[in-house]
Amino acid sequence: MKAAWSAEWLKLRRSRVPWMTVLAISVGAAAGGLFMFISLHPGRAGDLGLLGAKAQLSTLEPSWPSFFGLLAQITAVGGVIIFGITVVWMFGREFADHTAKDLLALPTHRAAIVAAKFAAATVWCLLLAVYLTAAGLGIGLLLGIPGPLTVPVAAAGVGRIFVTAVLTIAITTLFGLAASVGRGYLPGVAVLFAVVFTAQIVAALGYGAWFPFSVPAMHAGLTGADGPSPVGYAAVGAMAFVAVTATIGWWQRADHTG
Amino acid sequence: MAVVQVAGLVKHYGAVKAVDGASLTVAAGEIYALLGLNGAGKTTTIRTLLGMIRPTAGSVRLFGTPVTADARSLWGRVGYLVETPAAYPELTVTENLTLMARLKHLPAAAVGNVVEQLGLRPYAARRARELSLGNQQRLALAKALLGRPELLVLDEPANGLDPAGVTEIRQLLKTLAAQGTTILLSSHILAEVAKLATRIGIIHAGRMVTEIAAADLPHHVARALRVRCHDQDTAARILRQGGYQPLSNLDGMLSMTDERAVWHPDEVATLLVESGCPPVHLAVAEEDLETLFLRLTARGAGA
Repeated sequence: MKAAWSAEWLKLRRSRVPWMTVLAISVGAAAGGLFMFISLHPGRAGDLGLLGAKAQLSTLEPSWPSFFGLLAQITAVGGVIIFGITVVWMFGREFADHTAKDLLALPTHRAAIVAAKFAAATVWCLLLAVYLTAAGLGIGLLLGIPGPLTVPVAAAGVGRIFVTAVLTIAITTLFGLAASVGRGYLPGVAVLFAVVFTAQIVAALGYGAWFPFSVPAMHAGLTGADGPSPVGYAAVGAMAFVAVTATIGWWQRADHTG
Repeated sequence: MAVVQVAGLVKHYGAVKAVDGASLTVAAGEIYALLGLNGAGKTTTIRTLLGMIRPTAGSVRLFGTPVTADARSLWGRVGYLVETPAAYPELTVTENLTLMARLKHLPAAAVGNVVEQLGLRPYAARRARELSLGNQQRLALAKALLGRPELLVLDEPANGLDPAGVTEIRQLLKTLAAQGTTILLSSHILAEVAKLATRIGIIHAGRMVTEIAAADLPHHVARALRVRCHDQDTAARILRQGGYQPLSNLDGMLSMTDERAVWHPDEVATLLVESGCPPVHLAVAEEDLETLFLRLTARGAGA
């Protein structure tokens, strides 16, 4: 497992994925800061032309809990795409670069290689969540968000971001399975978009509390005060378990012809 | 001891019969060449040998152990190159080899050895994406050679190499075989494998058509005695009266494939001279290896 981990981490570290995902998360943090600036200074924002005639930002309170909630929502919505693309890349690149065949007849077990891919993606996505949180805190302090940033407020806010990140990472395992079975990036990306759309529709229909792909956004507070049901959290765990197991099973049992 | 044993291998993809009952055995230290046209079933056979494809029927054993995806104890003894050379483009030659050495549970020193062996030292710090096709092939071969495996399975190892590279790799493989490495390689070029292999298995449409020891290859080459005289009709009549079976070729030559003519052309010359129709051209023509290959695969197709 150690060999597989070091190999996967080296591949990830030397790719363009870290820079691209950091850039995307930076845009997310900047967008969060922009919304908070508008909430704090609606008059100045209007003078600067930052607000359109139909802007609706009244729900964002100028407070730390509200800002942390916004960062959690960015983790859920942006994360499913950014984390998802990381996972799709981890698996899809082996087929795009025709290197998958070199991983199949080695003393290192195929299951260890698949597990290392998921582990490397998870660690990187958690580091992105750390970066988003740190960048958010810096932006928040710079903007002078009112109210004391007490330890309980910070712990609750950071906890919410990280639980959202973990839930989001868990649902992206499905994209690893799709990129493997589909032998490339495109099937993984297609499933990613299907998940984003389905999650929105199911949440709009009122079943998001238990639908695994809607759970991260609901936990982040995107749909208001109503959080996911315990069944929803369990469904995320079950789905991740099934996706990881199925991915390992596919690498282990499928005919690798290409 | 047989290092590779393939018995009655069948692999079907729906109605497509990729391999249809192929069998082969490779002994320790042997260089066995699997020869066939594109789509003959070479790569499917090799992938099955490496546990990448599960056979529809038949058995595959390496070192006497049945091949499965879980047979990890086997893979430390096997180095392989399947189809096109592949490497992680953003990693350097050294990084690609170090990564593979880790996955093969080998010490870092193994990398230096293959870098030297494959002449990759000048490119060690170069990213794989910046390598020429020939050097990509060398890198792929270097990955296969990491840790001096007991069995090398190489699919088209000469692909992309220039003539000097082909000669160099041929010599390297011969040296490895002399040191005890068993080599199974595939190719579609008989002339190339004839210089390297100790035994050649010809596969066509998923079936093993024939197996030939490289030393016996000359015996399989078709020969013909070709004769030209001033009067070809008279010469043909004389030869027929002498018990030969001359055929007229499109180029006007008379051609005889019976052994008496091929192995004793002097007797043919004597007969023609004594009959007053001396030959102006008399030579034994040998079929080239490519023609032999096409003839053998055509026979396989007709079987």
